[in-house]
Amino acid sequence: MILRGKRAPLPAQPVVHRRFEAHAEANPEAIAVCWAGERLTYRELNARANQFAHLLLERGLARDGQGQATKIGVCLDYSFDMLVAILGTLKAGAAYVPLDPAYPQERLRLLLGQIPGLAAIVASPATVDLVDVATAPILDLAQSAGELAALPATAADVTVTGEDVCYAVFTSGSTGTPKLTAVRHENWFNLLNWLQLEYGLGTASNNLVVSAFGFDLSQRSLMAPLFCGATQYLLASRNFDPAMAYRILRDQDIRVVHCASSTLYVLVDWEVAVKGDALTRLDYVLFGGEPLHVERLLGWAGQPGNNCTLLHQYGVAECADVATSYDLAGYRRGEHDIAPVGRPGYNTDIHIVDEELTGVSAGESGEICIAGRSVGSGYLNGSGPESARFTAIEVDGEQVRLYRTGDRGYVTDAGELIIQGRIDNQVKVRGMRIDPHDIERALGRLPGIQQAAVVVVRTDAGDCELNAFLVPTGAGLDVDEVRAQLLKSLPRNMVPAGFRTIAELPLSPHGKVDRAALLDRLRTVASI
Amino acid sequence: MTIERAVMTTDLVRAIWCRELGRDEVGLDDDFFALGGQSVIMVGIQRAFIVEFGVEVPIDQLFRNPTVASITAYLQSQQFATQ
Repeated sequence: MILRGKRAPLPAQPVVHRRFEAHAEANPEAIAVCWAGERLTYRELNARANQFAHLLLERGLARDGQGQATKIGVCLDYSFDMLVAILGTLKAGAAYVPLDPAYPQERLRLLLGQIPGLAAIVASPATVDLVDVATAPILDLAQSAGELAALPATAADVTVTGEDVCYAVFTSGSTGTPKLTAVRHENWFNLLNWLQLEYGLGTASNNLVVSAFGFDLSQRSLMAPLFCGATQYLLASRNFDPAMAYRILRDQDIRVVHCASSTLYVLVDWEVAVKGDALTRLDYVLFGGEPLHVERLLGWAGQPGNNCTLLHQYGVAECADVATSYDLAGYRRGEHDIAPVGRPGYNTDIHIVDEELTGVSAGESGEICIAGRSVGSGYLNGSGPESARFTAIEVDGEQVRLYRTGDRGYVTDAGELIIQGRIDNQVKVRGMRIDPHDIERALGRLPGIQQAAVVVVRTDAGDCELNAFLVPTGAGLDVDEVRAQLLKSLPRNMVPAGFRTIAELPLSPHGKVDRAALLDRLRTVASI
Repeated sequence: MTIERAVMTTDLVRAIWCRELGRDEVGLDDDFFALGGQSVIMVGIQRAFIVEFGVEVPIDQLFRNPTVASITAYLQSQQFATQ
């Protein structure tokens, strides 16, 4: 079964920041970004990004000894500097790696150690202390302000092609080590071009970023308005703040929001609580990233006068983040069990295959694979078993490169993709793909714990909740202490909501931890 | 929108915390995250402040003041500052 996206031409060298530069040339005084009550024009942002690119080039940080593009870690809160660092890195011909400065130091140490070719980390010592964990020189834009201002504001002469990697993001791996997956300019350009043309985005398609920086969807949310010549709004808040986001949505002319489904619930709940209509005035919310609890949206979505088109999307970080899109207005309760994720984007195909990578028949369930110009260049750190997910199959006598997502799904009679879950153990919690093994390993490193298992529970409200079962080595394991220790090594959304001790973990006939039995135990406890 | 602002007391704040965290009792100095708090619950607390008291609390302040005692002190300082 193959679901084919529309074929759409791309420039000979689809290079993302060239689009931004074209807008800066055509409309230099248009507002590029608003943050903390201040604004930068396209001319100003372009000039500052050019200066940063010159700084990287002058210090020899954009290319390694072999002339290969380097990685520049960007560990900043949302700010003008973040966009300057991203655009400047691209202009210098290097690739950026987004790193959330709110992560615990131990997590940052782990991630930084997994970035090959890391040449510098852009960070502000006032915000995040990386001195003990940095594996490359730290670049502080505030400290370099004088040097930057003296550099040319015009573009450096650097050749960048569609084949070059533009960014790499961390995603969960199956062995407990996060995988760093690389996206090329061609992949990212193809995505942004599809969204722009298919949904008619233009210079008025102002955007508000509401997701955490390390997240794959944040990369397109950051770049989409600059690709279209519109204005980007950034929150002056370290943590996602629904109150602040809602106030900006209400008071500014925002047209587009990209977010995880769980963030959309939060925004809708906020709108209902304050009896506002800012969300209904948007043109588009592009959302997805986890199983959709459609009931949480239908009441709000069906309000008379609601202008907002909800695009329910599916994709993976390995393939430039979005592969398919579905207008939720087509959803009919009763007709669909699960809200579809729709059809593929431009130059993107979905293959549904069996275990032998043979295409299944229409309507049959199988593993979802993504092919076409959105397939990224693969993992940069190590050659773990995940690397085999980038593979090739023969279709009509031709070799087709594809990525096996590990997601299970099928195509409806109407030609729309339905996601049924994972074929492995991974779960999505608030939009972030999480491997429970990652958490189990962190638990196993703590004193007093012999063995740990983490399972995911769907709550009545449709949220995913992690629960840990711990086998203590002796008596008197302090669960609160376990939680406190875990908060020091893992991002908050990976710390389970519940911890329970258990004498031993139930095993399946194959000798694996019986997760279904653990889930049953949780339900039994909950019903008492 | 004019809402008569109640002076936030530890009792009012504690009641919101208990409800949103699903606990019978929360100590004044108990840490939100150590009690099993997650960001979605934090957002529920933030929403309760605006709906029930008309007080908009920045989420960063809720993260920075993760106990009933400290967030109450913050709220009171804000209220007296604006009077």
